Amino acid sequence: MKKNFLIIIILCFALCGCADYAELNKLSIVTAIGIDKSEDEYEVTLLIANSPKAETSSKEGEAKTTVYQGKGKSIAEAVKIIDKKTPKQLYFSHINVVVISEEIGKEGFLNIADWLIRHPQTRNRFHLMQVNNNKAGDVLKIISPLESFPSQSIATLIESNKNSRSVGDTASYSNFIGRVLEKGYEPTMPTIKINGSIEEGSMQENLETTKPKTYLSLGPLAIYKNDKLIGTTTKKQTESIYIINNEAKELTYEIKYKNNIINIFSNTIRTKIKLKNENTADIYVKAKGTIYEANGNINLNSIKEIENIEKTWNKTIKKDLNNLIKEIKENYQSDIFGFGNMIYKNYPKKWEKIKNNWNEKHFKKFNIKVHAETQIISTASLTKTLKDDDK
Amino acid sequence: MEKIDIKIEKVIDKVKNLYGNSADVNSRIIEIKKTKIGILFLESSSQTSTISDFIVKSAVYTEKSKNIFENLFNTLKNKLFNCQLFTIDNFEEFPYYLSSGFTIIIVDGNDKAIIMETRANLDRGVTEATSEPIIRGSKDSFTESHSKNLGLIRKRIKDPNLWFEEMKIGRRTKTRVSIAYINNIADKNKIKQIKKRLNKIDIDGILDSGNIRDYLTDQKSIFPQIKSSERPDMACQELLNGKIIILVENCPFILIMPTVFLDYIRSPEDQNQKSINITFTRILRFFALIITILTPAIYIAIVTYDQNTIPDKLLISLAVQREGVPFPTFFEIILFMTVFEILRESDLKSPTNMSTAMSIVGALVLGQAAVDASIVSPITIIIVAITSICSLIFQDSDFINGIRFWRFLFIIASSLLGVVGILSMALIWITKMASLKNLNTSFLSPIAPFDKDANKDAIIKSATPNIIKRPNYISKLNPFKQGGKR
Repeated sequence: MKKNFLIIIILCFALCGCADYAELNKLSIVTAIGIDKSEDEYEVTLLIANSPKAETSSKEGEAKTTVYQGKGKSIAEAVKIIDKKTPKQLYFSHINVVVISEEIGKEGFLNIADWLIRHPQTRNRFHLMQVNNNKAGDVLKIISPLESFPSQSIATLIESNKNSRSVGDTASYSNFIGRVLEKGYEPTMPTIKINGSIEEGSMQENLETTKPKTYLSLGPLAIYKNDKLIGTTTKKQTESIYIINNEAKELTYEIKYKNNIINIFSNTIRTKIKLKNENTADIYVKAKGTIYEANGNINLNSIKEIENIEKTWNKTIKKDLNNLIKEIKENYQSDIFGFGNMIYKNYPKKWEKIKNNWNEKHFKKFNIKVHAETQIISTASLTKTLKDDDK
Repeated sequence: MEKIDIKIEKVIDKVKNLYGNSADVNSRIIEIKKTKIGILFLESSSQTSTISDFIVKSAVYTEKSKNIFENLFNTLKNKLFNCQLFTIDNFEEFPYYLSSGFTIIIVDGNDKAIIMETRANLDRGVTEATSEPIIRGSKDSFTESHSKNLGLIRKRIKDPNLWFEEMKIGRRTKTRVSIAYINNIADKNKIKQIKKRLNKIDIDGILDSGNIRDYLTDQKSIFPQIKSSERPDMACQELLNGKIIILVENCPFILIMPTVFLDYIRSPEDQNQKSINITFTRILRFFALIITILTPAIYIAIVTYDQNTIPDKLLISLAVQREGVPFPTFFEIILFMTVFEILRESDLKSPTNMSTAMSIVGALVLGQAAVDASIVSPITIIIVAITSICSLIFQDSDFINGIRFWRFLFIIASSLLGVVGILSMALIWITKMASLKNLNTSFLSPIAPFDKDANKDAIIKSATPNIIKRPNYISKLNPFKQGGKR
């Protein structure tokens, strides 16, 4: 018995390879990384969430973050330079957001992905964002009045929009890399925008005004081919992409009906993609919605009228999706919906033949039919419109 | 064996010498028709009014009757107004009876002595249990009086199969120790083992049941392997389950054998409340046990080794709290754990009117000021508070101290090896607990040698009508509690 105990105790000491002692207050917790490219060098911006003193930081609205920047031929080199600047040890396992600039996207994301994966501390559940027209480092500097530090405000922005404005899983890093590596499936990446001047946004005063001068907002999706950026879609197209990917959870749809604008809110949109044969796929969209806003003389009590609205909505969805697919096929030539992947899974022999120029040649010829089934469940709190004639 | 002298003066002198002429040794010689009767008693332990009421009176009454001269001794023996009366012929037994409050009557010319009970009431009455208070259940508790204690059990179980086996332990104290069990339920082997172990005890004095506890176990463990209780209802509950109870004179705490780990999770109240609620409460207690053992260790492990397991916001808030604290987390925790243990110990030992001052010093000065002076971080205080509150759920102080010991081991392991340390220490802990055995009963039964029937009242408690059998691990005799065969 005593021998067994001894063996167990010895084993505990022998097996503790990854014991890595560090006191919390000796760490600088990196919460966001911004990566830019200027000329030949990478410019890495780290957002460090640590406060110098406990007493002052607990005050409301106090900025708790510091931004450090470093330049280097590789990411690791740039980080090393930052490490020399900070008094504490850099700690990477709580990265929330990685923002990359347009140049990095155009050059290829995989160039910088290696460091992010290889580093022992990083986890791969962070959000990946691209910023157009601005420097990635600047995004991290913007202080948001509602969240305690910038990286959190970006993460919250994405997470809250995940449900309401349908920013899907595409925002996560592991998803992006997964799609780069998968056959016949091209990735997308959400973009972020800085509204206002960066100078003012990074100042403490930005918090003290009721109307922040500078704020961050989500932009449309950027489309990638392999790991390279090829273009950015519009807001409308982004919504349609989410519908096809079955990632849209809540949408407000504006349709034109008898020269009036009707706003339909839908929180159940289901999309199924079925491969008919090697060359054809069907997209079935099922949407249920509620009328949120209807101006003009429409009798919402009549079933016929509702059916007509449904039909119009149906047509609008079909039109939107078809337009999007056409645009993606012709202008971007990047299969972001994963039809190639479905062919690879269902018809592997066929895929062998076409895999080399799927995006450029065969994706264009691939037939995609959109079927939509729409239903208006209710007209919310009003059964009639206010401008209804027969009062 | 030493014979009693025929001359009563000699006997009285001998006794007085034996007690070194102590002031409380009293004697009286009454002469009835020229036959001397000697009365010996200790003023301190016997009730003098009883002696004067009965013995002296009876002696005088016997004077009136005739034919007493033929056998004064027998007449006295038959006529004394007392129910506890017997004769002895061994002088060596004198001190025991005298100290126990008996009165010895010797008659000139006889080598026998009459012993009569005239005990003074030196005990307090039956009061409410203070160390194991419950809300729903009987309120009485054991006292220092041995016969009262036996009575409290006897009045609850009227079965004649409830047997008390008495022995006297202690060279000088001659303490009465009773083994109580229900004859056709309790395991004979276990009784035999207990008796064997008790017979081996050869010590000056036994003053409390805690003194003999160590003799009854042979394995060393920080966790107590024998539960003690001051509640008669608890004792009877366990007797009916087939357990064996040891009562020690002058001690309100009985010992329950065999005890398993789960007995500490259970409370005497459990039988009196709705079973579903009790199941929930027991799970809560179990949870509290795990919290109180592991919380500080887990805190140290994740804060100093595995920071990546904490959610971002919490980590940053923890880091902010740690800012400016000069000590490592491990030292911080150990420091405050020790401070709490000192506080608890001093609170237990201090009279009640001083505890207010203590709580102010403890709560305000130690808690608030230590944080303000950034000697400790606020989270450490929270951790220590949770840990100590959870440990106070348990009533047995030996059990709480056992938990404390293992908690410190876990803290040391986690500060050396992080989560790996906690896991390996948990392995050691469980191995140690599973290897404990007392009276052929495994400490983790009925979980570790799994027993389906006994598990109806282990952590989960079924409704009382459904618990038909007695726990198998205690005794295999007479298994049916209700229904079935008797």
